[in-house]
Amino acid sequence: MSTLIEFKDVVKEYKSGDNVLRAMDNVSFTIDEGEFVVILGPSGAGKSTLLNLLGGLDSATNGQIIVDGEHVENFDDNELTEYRANNVGFIFQFYNLIPNLTAVENVELMKDIVDVDIDGCAVLKSVGLENHANQFPAQLSGGEQQRVSIARAVAKQPTMLLCDEPTGALDSKTGVLILNLLQEMSNDKNTTVIIVTHNAILAEAADKVIRIKNGQIEDISINVNPKKVEDLDW
Amino acid sequence: MAFLGVFVFAGVGGESVGLEVNSNNFYQDTNLADGWIYSANLDNDFVDKVNNLSSTTQCERQLVIDSVGNFSNDPDITLHFVENNTISKFYLLEGEELNISDADGVWIDKSFADAKDLNVGDNISFTFNGITVEKEIKGIGYSPEYVYHASTASVIPDFNKIGFAYMSYKAFPMDNVPYNVLNVKFDGNAGDYDSLLSDKLAGDYNSFVEKAEHSSVSQFSEEMDQHKMMSGIFPVVFILIAMLILLTTMTRIISHQRTQIGILKANGFTNTSIIFHYVSYGFWLVLIGSILGLIIGPLTLPQLFYPSMSATYKLPSWQPVWSMDFVYVAVLMVIMSLIVSYLAVRSISNENPADTIRPKSPKVSSSGFVEKIGVWKRLSFNARWNYRDAKRNKFRALMTVIGVMGCSALLVCAFGMYDGMNDLKEWEYSQINHYDSKLVIDEDAITSEINDVAEDVNGDKIMESAIEIEAGNIKKSGSLLVLNDTDLITPTDYDWNKIKIANDEVSISQKMADLLDVGVGDTVKFHIMGSDKWVNVTINKIHADPISQGFVMSTDKLDDLGLNYTPTSIVTEKHVDSNYSAIKSTSSMKDMTASWDELTESMWLLIYILIFFASLLAIVVLYNLGLLSFTEIEREIATLKVLGFKTGALRRLLLTQNLWFTAIGFVLGLPVGYYILKIMWESSGDSFYILPSISITNFILTAIITFALSIFVNLLFSRKIKKLDMVESLKGVE
Ligand SMILES: Nc1ncnc2c1ncn2[C@@H]1O[C@H](COP(=O)(O)OP(=O)(O)OP(=O)(O)O)[C@@H](O)[C@H]1O
Ligand SMILES: [Mg+2]
Repeated sequence: MSTLIEFKDVVKEYKSGDNVLRAMDNVSFTIDEGEFVVILGPSGAGKSTLLNLLGGLDSATNGQIIVDGEHVENFDDNELTEYRANNVGFIFQFYNLIPNLTAVENVELMKDIVDVDIDGCAVLKSVGLENHANQFPAQLSGGEQQRVSIARAVAKQPTMLLCDEPTGALDSKTGVLILNLLQEMSNDKNTTVIIVTHNAILAEAADKVIRIKNGQIEDISINVNPKKVEDLDW
Repeated sequence: MAFLGVFVFAGVGGESVGLEVNSNNFYQDTNLADGWIYSANLDNDFVDKVNNLSSTTQCERQLVIDSVGNFSNDPDITLHFVENNTISKFYLLEGEELNISDADGVWIDKSFADAKDLNVGDNISFTFNGITVEKEIKGIGYSPEYVYHASTASVIPDFNKIGFAYMSYKAFPMDNVPYNVLNVKFDGNAGDYDSLLSDKLAGDYNSFVEKAEHSSVSQFSEEMDQHKMMSGIFPVVFILIAMLILLTTMTRIISHQRTQIGILKANGFTNTSIIFHYVSYGFWLVLIGSILGLIIGPLTLPQLFYPSMSATYKLPSWQPVWSMDFVYVAVLMVIMSLIVSYLAVRSISNENPADTIRPKSPKVSSSGFVEKIGVWKRLSFNARWNYRDAKRNKFRALMTVIGVMGCSALLVCAFGMYDGMNDLKEWEYSQINHYDSKLVIDEDAITSEINDVAEDVNGDKIMESAIEIEAGNIKKSGSLLVLNDTDLITPTDYDWNKIKIANDEVSISQKMADLLDVGVGDTVKFHIMGSDKWVNVTINKIHADPISQGFVMSTDKLDDLGLNYTPTSIVTEKHVDSNYSAIKSTSSMKDMTASWDELTESMWLLIYILIFFASLLAIVVLYNLGLLSFTEIEREIATLKVLGFKTGALRRLLLTQNLWFTAIGFVLGLPVGYYILKIMWESSGDSFYILPSISITNFILTAIITFALSIFVNLLFSRKIKKLDMVESLKGVE
């Protein structure tokens, strides 16, 4: 398996007045293509910051972020937009669907930004929502909304799926469903999936677990035999 | 905004109320006559008879006579030899009061004195009926009978060429003064007095002119009417605009405070105290704005109009006057804003705090009809999003449309005025009148002299007279134009097509026909001013003329009617410089168009003000509503940005909606603007006939400005989109 993502001594600082806050302090790691990665750490550790940097939502103060051989840290605004459009699928804690569009429209929306023909209904079917295609987000349950959001993210066939606490707003049963779905994506389609979570149990299902604390890598471990999400002891 | 609304309202209002009050004061101070009785023979007997009429309260004789001042340009000076100076008194500005026992003094008009650089103590001489008198200027001032004073040759007074002078009857070179005008004051209305006169004193006098028909009084009151109309329509439009702007601003500010309100509520503040807090916040702002507008409006705006008016009209004082109406409007404005902010705050504070703290969640919308039809599937995501967004925010959509509508209506109105003024000029001075010079014939000139001049300049004689027309029970004053077949004056229809009026035909102008509610085939009666011979005519044709309303007929027809043909002007293709004794004054086409341009100067100002406010309206309303919607959809925009949408695509998303609303507002604004324009032209006075229209160029310009403003506002948001911090905006809810 080849290396897809590489962080080299990445530093992220937030300046507010005279104070400089180091949210990311010399972070280095690699992620292989198709890996199912779980990022763990206490609140404020810098997990979201890491994901945002990787997703091209924010730029690093220092260091290198290499994705598929390209230096993301050197991208300008347009290149970042292009990068997000083609490589990154985002899944948020609060789904962030477009309220004015139906489920299927939310998925087909991606046609506008990538050169892929998307069959919204087919993608929704893959997340088990074929019966809710014409409902608006406000008419769907949280779990359903999150599945639409996953459908939206995978529809454009990104190289990686970045999920920031995707189950944070869901009950555990629904959460398992979502995580299961994400793991399947990773296994079946060879999509790299990176999940930020507070739930340490998920670590057993991951190919790789990155633990961070105070903006630094505390530990990186690799599971040779990751369990299936369904088989975990919730 | 409240300030601007009240400012314009009180300013324009103050101007027009000021005109009315100033002129009324002037008329009152100088005891302007209620009517004038003209007669060649005003002996004591007649005066007694008038005095004996029950409603006469006061009367006074004078001799009014035209003279030529002793200056190189032979100015026309109207002399008034007064028996007393208690009615239509001379209003003194410099020197001493008019003294009836002073036989050597003359009191002359200020504008003429200024034009000729004359001062109290100078001598001046006049020639009339072959007699020359020389007098010492004892005083300089104004007269209520000369607020507007222009020669027959041009609408714009040229004070170098005309003037008036008052003297005591004692200054008259002969013992017996041949008085010819009796100034009267009376009780009751002028119509009754007129019939009383013709009843009791028939045959003893020539004619009676009431105050409202006096040329100076009527011209000025027509001008005032125009201003009143202006101060009627525009301030109302501006108040509406201001309220619209206020409404959107208040809603924007308050919804911005949404989260704040939620937190206050969560912390135990009562609904009432929150509502009170926000409402009073808006209240003070609007109150202060309104008060400032009330004070500054009347002080500044009239100063924009008065200077150009005071060049034409002579009043001793040009003071804006304040009226209680302005306060009422300001109060209305404040109350409106109170209601608007109350409603806005209440709708938020009635939600439960948990919901309030988060941004407003969109209402669930059912799929409407449009979504069900086939086309929907083919619409782009952009179109679908915008359609639903508009559907969900009907208030915002409506306000945007109304704002744009107001903007385009105002623009149509402004450009329509511009075109109307230009059309009028083109129509009157190029399409109807083709002569180069117009020579006004002296009243004393004899026929052979006149014919000589006409031959010399190779010109055509015409007769123009003021007439009064009556149909049913409507009476209107107008003008009569008598001409023989000439290429120099060609009447047209309302489409500017030349029309032929045959020798035995009478044509009435469109506006006059409308005013009298008559048409071809109807019979109306008229008389020439100064004569009481009424004649009946049957209308054969209808022509249209932008500035003169009445009849056009041939000399033969005039003869047929039993009226005397007395030519009043000669028109010619040639440019005439030379002086003729039979000619009182000469004016060229160039002079006339120049004076027209001068007359319309204050209109331009109005047009610029309109365009400015139209743009302001569009920008503020679009910006307010745009911001309102932007804060609501910030999260969506951030999401789309994260998904990889380019700034351009997102800007187009917002632009699409703006453009749609702009298009709808624009289309709706057109008829509204046309309608306002129509009302304006219709109320521009009985003598004007202008069809509301707008040229293609200006129509396109209106469209360009409207859409450019919309796109400009959109660009303000594209900067916001670019700077939008995705991480921050998505963090929002947590
Ligand atoms: N825009 C910002 N300005 C200043 N400091 C910031 C900003 N964003 C994040 N931080 C700081 O950076 C650190 C890391 O934040 P981050 O959001 O990555 O934490 P996290 O691990 O995702 O926490 P959580 O599990 O609570 O979401 C925190 O200390 C936070 O205060
Ligand atoms: Mg986080």
